[in-house]
Amino acid sequence: MIRHIKLAGLIVALLAIFLPSFTLAQDVNFSVSPAEVHIDDLPPGETAEFELTIHNKEELAHNFTFTTFQPPEEERREGRAEFPDDSWISFSSPKIEVAAKSEANVTVTVAIPREQKLSGEEWEIWLGVTAESRDLLAVRLYARLLVSTTPAVGARPNAGLVAGIVVGIVLLGCGSYYYFRRRTRPKRF
Amino acid sequence: MKAVITSMVVAIILALIFSLPALAQESGTITITMTGVNDISISLDKTQWPLGEVATDTEYMTSPPIEWCTLTVEGNCNVNTFILGEDTEWIDNPSAYKWTLSTDGTNGDNVYGLQFRISGDTTRGPLSDGYVPITKTQSEFWPYSGGSGSSLAPGDTKQFGLKLLTPTYFVGSRQMQTQITISAVAA
Repeated sequence: MIRHIKLAGLIVALLAIFLPSFTLAQDVNFSVSPAEVHIDDLPPGETAEFELTIHNKEELAHNFTFTTFQPPEEERREGRAEFPDDSWISFSSPKIEVAAKSEANVTVTVAIPREQKLSGEEWEIWLGVTAESRDLLAVRLYARLLVSTTPAVGARPNAGLVAGIVVGIVLLGCGSYYYFRRRTRPKRF
Repeated sequence: MKAVITSMVVAIILALIFSLPALAQESGTITITMTGVNDISISLDKTQWPLGEVATDTEYMTSPPIEWCTLTVEGNCNVNTFILGEDTEWIDNPSAYKWTLSTDGTNGDNVYGLQFRISGDTTRGPLSDGYVPITKTQSEFWPYSGGSGSSLAPGDTKQFGLKLLTPTYFVGSRQMQTQITISAVAA
């Protein structure tokens, strides 16, 4: 008898999984643009900024959250490596509210540390925009972000600069020497 | 005197010839390109599955089973889509009790399974019955590796259904909630 009661307790353990039907539908129809962003020739140590636009096509205001996602290799563009560190990407706000039938922008900042090993790289990461919802199904839209850094930052430019300065100093020295030598030469009458 | 001035001018010019390009490279241009006017968007015509009360170790399917929800591509670029599940949490106290989402669609004590099936897919999935487990790792929805399908173009639709397998044991009388995220990226 006790066994039967326990069994019944398990089977009749009643749950309401997922939200009940009377909850208001919260599905969101929205879009994100651009769908793909290329940042080329970004020198390590520098930052780049651009804007993502979220268009809320619904009659109600909605909150949207922003995340980054490291796509698996097979989903990345050809030749693109994994973005080394998500923390190099920041959003002007982690969440924004977009009014009904309107658009809002979020500024995305990409800051690459000044490290020689980060030169000449090509990376990809996805920027996710999710409409906050309590429904079972939710939609997230990704914008692809492709970043390439300048090759061999600092090496050649500094060498050129130093060479230029050295040549300038040598020539100025020669000129000065010649000038003073002429001035101190005794005049002939 | 003329020679002196000439040599000074030559020195300055030479110094500038060497150093200006170098300085110019230090302040190189960063190019940011927004590809076309691409606008990415997908919509789902159904986002809720009100199951009500469920029993242990029981399978529930959406109705209709594989044409329950329609995904429509609404932007102006082709997309690849993905699906992601999560643990089911007790609404009253999410950190206190949950059902863990299994990695293969099976169940266990406080472990539940979720699967999806796309209309027209009859051989996909571990059992080759069209059903594919939804896990906590984002995986392909459409197209998928090994399949013959291609990216979805604007206006394209995909119909799909869900299957839930409840845990073999769970604490009763608790309202549980979970979320399945369908995502899209430009193909």
